[in-house]
Amino acid sequence: MSTPAEHVPGLASAGAVAARARALTKSYGSGETAVLALDSVDVDIARGRFTAVMGPSGSGKSTLMHCLAGLDTVSAGQVWLGETEITGLKERELTRLRRDRIGFMFQSFNLIPTLNALENVTLPMDIAGRRPDPKWLDQVIDTLGLRDRLRHRPAQLSGGQQQRVACARALAARPELIFADEPTGNLDSRAGLEVLGILREAVDELGQTVVMVTHDPGAAAHSDLVLFLADGRIVDEMGRPSAEAVLERMKRFDVIRGPFDRSPGTARSPGTDRPIGTERPIGEG
Amino acid sequence: MLKATLRSFLAHKGRLLLSALAVVLSVAFVAGSLIFSDTVSRTFDRLFASSAADVTVGPKENLDETVPSGATATLPAALADRVARVDGVAAARAEAEVEDITVVDAENESVSPTTGAPTIGSAWNPTGRSPVELGSGRAPRGPGEALLDARSADRTDVRIGDTLTVVAPPGSFQARVVGIVTFTTTNPGTALLFMDPQTARTKLLGDAGAATSITVDAAPGVSDETLKRRVADALGADRYLYRTAGEQAQSDVEELGGFLDVIKYVMVGFAGIAVLVGVFLIVNTFSMLIAQRTRELGLLRALGADRRQVRRSVLAEALLLGLVGATLGLVTGIALAAGLIELMGLLGMSIDTTEMVIGWATVVTAYVVGVGVTFVAAYLPARRAAAVSPMAALSDAEVAGVGRPLRLRALAGTVVGAAGAAALAGCAAAAETGPATSLLGLGVVLTLIATVVAGPLLVRPVIRVLGAAFPALFGPVGRMSQRNALRNPRRTGATAAALMVGLALVGGMSVASASMTESFDRQIDKTLGADFVVQSGNFTPFPREITEAVRGTEGVGLVVRSAFTPIAVRLPDGDRVETTAAGYEPRLDEVANITYARGGTASALAEGRLAMDADFAREHGVRVGSVLPVEFRGGRTAELTVGALTDQETAEGFGTTGGIYFGMGTVERYAPGGQDAAVYVNAAAGTDAGELRAALERTLDPYPQLQVRDLADYKQLVRDQIAVLLYLVYALLGLAIIIAVLGVVNTLALSVVERTREIGLLRAIGLGRRQLRRMIRLESVVIAVCGAVLGLALGLVWGVCTQQVLALQGMTALAIPWGTIVAVVVGAALIGVVAALLPALRASRMNVLAAIAHE
Repeated sequence: MSTPAEHVPGLASAGAVAARARALTKSYGSGETAVLALDSVDVDIARGRFTAVMGPSGSGKSTLMHCLAGLDTVSAGQVWLGETEITGLKERELTRLRRDRIGFMFQSFNLIPTLNALENVTLPMDIAGRRPDPKWLDQVIDTLGLRDRLRHRPAQLSGGQQQRVACARALAARPELIFADEPTGNLDSRAGLEVLGILREAVDELGQTVVMVTHDPGAAAHSDLVLFLADGRIVDEMGRPSAEAVLERMKRFDVIRGPFDRSPGTARSPGTDRPIGTERPIGEG
Repeated sequence: MLKATLRSFLAHKGRLLLSALAVVLSVAFVAGSLIFSDTVSRTFDRLFASSAADVTVGPKENLDETVPSGATATLPAALADRVARVDGVAAARAEAEVEDITVVDAENESVSPTTGAPTIGSAWNPTGRSPVELGSGRAPRGPGEALLDARSADRTDVRIGDTLTVVAPPGSFQARVVGIVTFTTTNPGTALLFMDPQTARTKLLGDAGAATSITVDAAPGVSDETLKRRVADALGADRYLYRTAGEQAQSDVEELGGFLDVIKYVMVGFAGIAVLVGVFLIVNTFSMLIAQRTRELGLLRALGADRRQVRRSVLAEALLLGLVGATLGLVTGIALAAGLIELMGLLGMSIDTTEMVIGWATVVTAYVVGVGVTFVAAYLPARRAAAVSPMAALSDAEVAGVGRPLRLRALAGTVVGAAGAAALAGCAAAAETGPATSLLGLGVVLTLIATVVAGPLLVRPVIRVLGAAFPALFGPVGRMSQRNALRNPRRTGATAAALMVGLALVGGMSVASASMTESFDRQIDKTLGADFVVQSGNFTPFPREITEAVRGTEGVGLVVRSAFTPIAVRLPDGDRVETTAAGYEPRLDEVANITYARGGTASALAEGRLAMDADFAREHGVRVGSVLPVEFRGGRTAELTVGALTDQETAEGFGTTGGIYFGMGTVERYAPGGQDAAVYVNAAAGTDAGELRAALERTLDPYPQLQVRDLADYKQLVRDQIAVLLYLVYALLGLAIIIAVLGVVNTLALSVVERTREIGLLRAIGLGRRQLRRMIRLESVVIAVCGAVLGLALGLVWGVCTQQVLALQGMTALAIPWGTIVAVVVGAALIGVVAALLPALRASRMNVLAAIAHE
């Protein structure tokens, strides 16, 4: 579990990098009231791997994802997607980048309610005015088992089916990087496992790169590498994680922060961001 | 609860602002029209009350003149001396006052007002009550001298010493301006010319012994009533018309009233439209506010507020909105009235804006309208709010109202719509104008209600069709905008309805007016056989001298004079019909094509004969050969024999019933003193129409009030008159559009707020700002065009039915103004674009992250 002295957590020691950030800093507010969400983070996201980002509430994991995905602006530092530096890109270029090179899955409200499943899947390409590659699209749809649900509207789909559609949308354009923000957060354990299995498959079978933000050690256990964030810094990483090991590691944050921590940054609302390490069956979203 | 209401009111002030605007517009038009008419009436009440003599003796009028005959009723000027001898009379003057003279300067330019207000020539009898005083120069003495009012003098650059030509009923004469008079009170917009009394009588009335009225001043201590009685006793109570100062002022005000009423009705029309469309907007706004606050209301209920409290809270908000709207509306109304008064000033009617009357009735009406409308409109949404269950606070349910079935609306819409359709069908089938008009009105109201009620059901198919090409044209953006418009059919329906109401009116009126124009065109083509018609611009009659000048013009072959005179005819079935009859010279057939059922022009115009419409004759039991007692002005009577019956498409015009006419000789014999209304001219053999026209125009140069018109000009004239109706329609359209735009803005703004997360998601997965704006714009356009299509469809049905009613009056042509209809649809699309500007900007400015995180 301990970090080797020659290796900084979060940085790839070898292999291709899908995205990277250097000295990435993000602060909200200014002066006395400024809150540092990311504190000079250096991170590499390895291509073709499934990376999980974990950390307690307020650790900055969602902010990290938003900055890497070009959804949020950075206060300082640089972010690259592949060879493109995205810090400093204009709004329009960022939009195009998200559309063409990044896939997204969110915890909830992933689909446009007025469009059917197929229309949702092809939406980014439709927006771009590109035709989807039919062979790839078929493969994605069959892999996700959506063949008989294509004409359904989101309201007619179960939560798990909706997330699978969102996953198909993320995969359909064959993006360089897929960001999944708590993709199993609103699902029951069976549907959650299904979605995690699909993400795993996307990496293993389809060669995609996935970054998943989660607070669930069971979900993180499906990844190749877990990055631990605390107080805006990457404090640790864990390769080939197991749920128990991740849970153990997370418990240590709780010990450090302890019961005295009542800062607003750690306020936890039930149902959306449950405290880590509480007695919950692993794998439940 | 009150605190919560106030907080909520202030929290939603942006959205409420739009509703408030609708209230403000409605109240402003109501208040503005009231203030304006109060101000104008008071100004004129004062003017007439201050300028009327204690007692006025006038000629007895047995018949009202609806179409000007050009005759001036007189009484003997010598009566003034008899009146002066009556006990209690301080002074009596013989007045000579003639309206509708034309005054022309040395360059043959008219000095008369350009607004259509009359030019009045009178005797200069200055008293303490004259509304004018001599500003510069001196009083006129003897023939050939006159005073002109300062306003007309300024406008046309006439100075003392200039010579004017006055075209008066007896003939033209020249007068040198020796002085300028100024109004001491409000100038009602007329031009005034004064001459010494003797000159006025001879030159204006053509009779030195005639007067138009005798004005009487009372001796100190004698009341107007007493004086009136004594004068009446002295002259014979039945022989003349006696009025006290109060009665005279009243009658003068009434005369002016017609003009003021038109302005009033127009304003009330605007107010009505504003109220009607405003109601939609308010209902919509409150429905949305409540839909948005379902959770909040549920929480209130969960915390123990009962239904009544929730309902009251919403209604209290409406009350606040109504009060604010009414107050602002009142202020806007005052500004509107001030603007109208200024406008009147441009037309020559100078009213001091500081004299503005804001009666308590106006204030009360403003608040009743403002608060009432808001309250009524908010009632249904308030009930719906009260029905929110406490569970709504806890669940993440879809916005209330979306999923509720529309079955009740479908049923109500179908029933009311069927009744409306039946009424319209009945109107189209009716044979009598009276019932047809009532059925038309009923049908219009019922179909309007049905369309509004069933609106949410109607928008679905319409938007599906309208937006069918969107996915192909605009890709996913088009597809989403079309589906978004259909997402909440209630809301879309209500939004489109606001536009629909206005455009339905526009559609109906434009079909009706196009059909009228077409009918008149055809009729003119069919009946007018003359090469040219010489007529004055505002249809006022002109002196004989002009007819003779026309007759003397080189190249003129035939001249047929025509004149109008009021008559009362006693019919065999016992009816006494007061109407206007026309008189023509014998060779009428050569300038007009009249279709006769019995007889012909010769028998119609022969001495002692008359002609009338065959249908009218049948209705009243008149046959060829019937002898009818006819009463003329001044009490003259004649027994005229029916010589011919006509079968014209339109026998009846404004102010005429029965289409009665006879020979010019009959007019001159029984209604002397009249002037010619129109002269029909045919070219002499071998004369080119263009040359004749030029010659006629040269002849008429000194008479700028007259125009030469050929067939095409004549049609244009009629068209222009109908166009005035259309301008009113377009003004209504403008107002309806303003309010409807507010409604669309409102709906879109709410939709954008509701779809915050969806918009965030779209932006996250790569929808550009411009694409997002286009999506909202397309939704707006499809809603607006949907409203236009529904409105125009309804309006077309109304228009066709109106035309059926008009057909009963002989206007048989049906014309659909396709150009206007296409323009309205295109205009609606533009409205959609404009309405989407702000909501689209707001959506595209939305922070992607905030939108994703939006709860």
